[in-house]
Amino acid sequence: MNILEKQPPTCYNLNMNVLISVGILILAMLIMAFLQITPGVFALSYHYAIGKYSKKKASRLMLFFIIGVEIITACVLLSVYYLISILCFGNFQPETSILTWIMIGILFAFSILSAFYYYRRGNSTKLYIPRKFARALDSSAKSIKTNSDAFVLGVISIACELLFILPLFIVSAIELMRLDLHSIPINLLAILLTLAPLFPLFIIHYKFQAGYNLANILKSRSKNKSFNRVILSLSYLIIAVLIICFKVNLQ
Amino acid sequence: MKEFNESEIIKDLKIDARGVGIPEGAAEIFINRTMKEAKKTLKNKSIITETDLKRVIVKELKKYHKDLAYVYQNRDTIV
Repeated sequence: MNILEKQPPTCYNLNMNVLISVGILILAMLIMAFLQITPGVFALSYHYAIGKYSKKKASRLMLFFIIGVEIITACVLLSVYYLISILCFGNFQPETSILTWIMIGILFAFSILSAFYYYRRGNSTKLYIPRKFARALDSSAKSIKTNSDAFVLGVISIACELLFILPLFIVSAIELMRLDLHSIPINLLAILLTLAPLFPLFIIHYKFQAGYNLANILKSRSKNKSFNRVILSLSYLIIAVLIICFKVNLQ
Repeated sequence: MKEFNESEIIKDLKIDARGVGIPEGAAEIFINRTMKEAKKTLKNKSIITETDLKRVIVKELKKYHKDLAYVYQNRDTIV
């Protein structure tokens, strides 16, 4: 054996299909990062926690909120992935399945919904959720006392957003399943997908640490409402178009 | 219909003030002056809506601290 012979470097086989799948996953991450219930509840509970307790305790409570968000997101993604993989063991083929067309329809619907109905009318950052839910979230944020309260509030805030998250996770699970293990680090993509809702929370946390207050954060949220709407709507639309153009077998 | 509970409003305002970063002494002065003025404005009214009460408090708070007034005004419209 020639000892000078070197091992060939690991090279990823990036074909068009893989790039489209990765693109869909990145857009899904973008949407997850732009959804607004969790950052809203986080900012509110951080504000109340600072108002009631020491900075150290407030930071600890928010850490548990973040852990709650991360765990429920990972659990939902894994559950959806598991269900899709069970379907794939049968005769389910995403390219020809009716489920894919249903998902495309839902994605188009969400593209319209996020453009026109994600925020309520007016200058505030009121979201689409029923007012009873919003009031319950508000009073829960106000009454956080223990780490478990914060953890549960993180879980509930993601649960309130499930309507917008579930179709994304179904599409993402299908794409993750389609990706070739040797072509791209799938685990990394899945982890990034579950971490995506945490990005705005870290930004808010950083802002509070840097001396900003709830008023500053609310004003910036209110100012960027239209931008947020456009990003959400376009991302849903592009995912739907990419699936129609590259993933569905039209023959 | 709810009875006007001044201490509850003061408690909420104190939490908001601390959250916004106003020192405790200054917050106490702002809140006391605000409540005094609000009560003076609403002296002749036996019944008042929550929105009107909030509007009066916000109007007074704006004179002392705009961020605190903004947070108090928007506290139910964040999510």
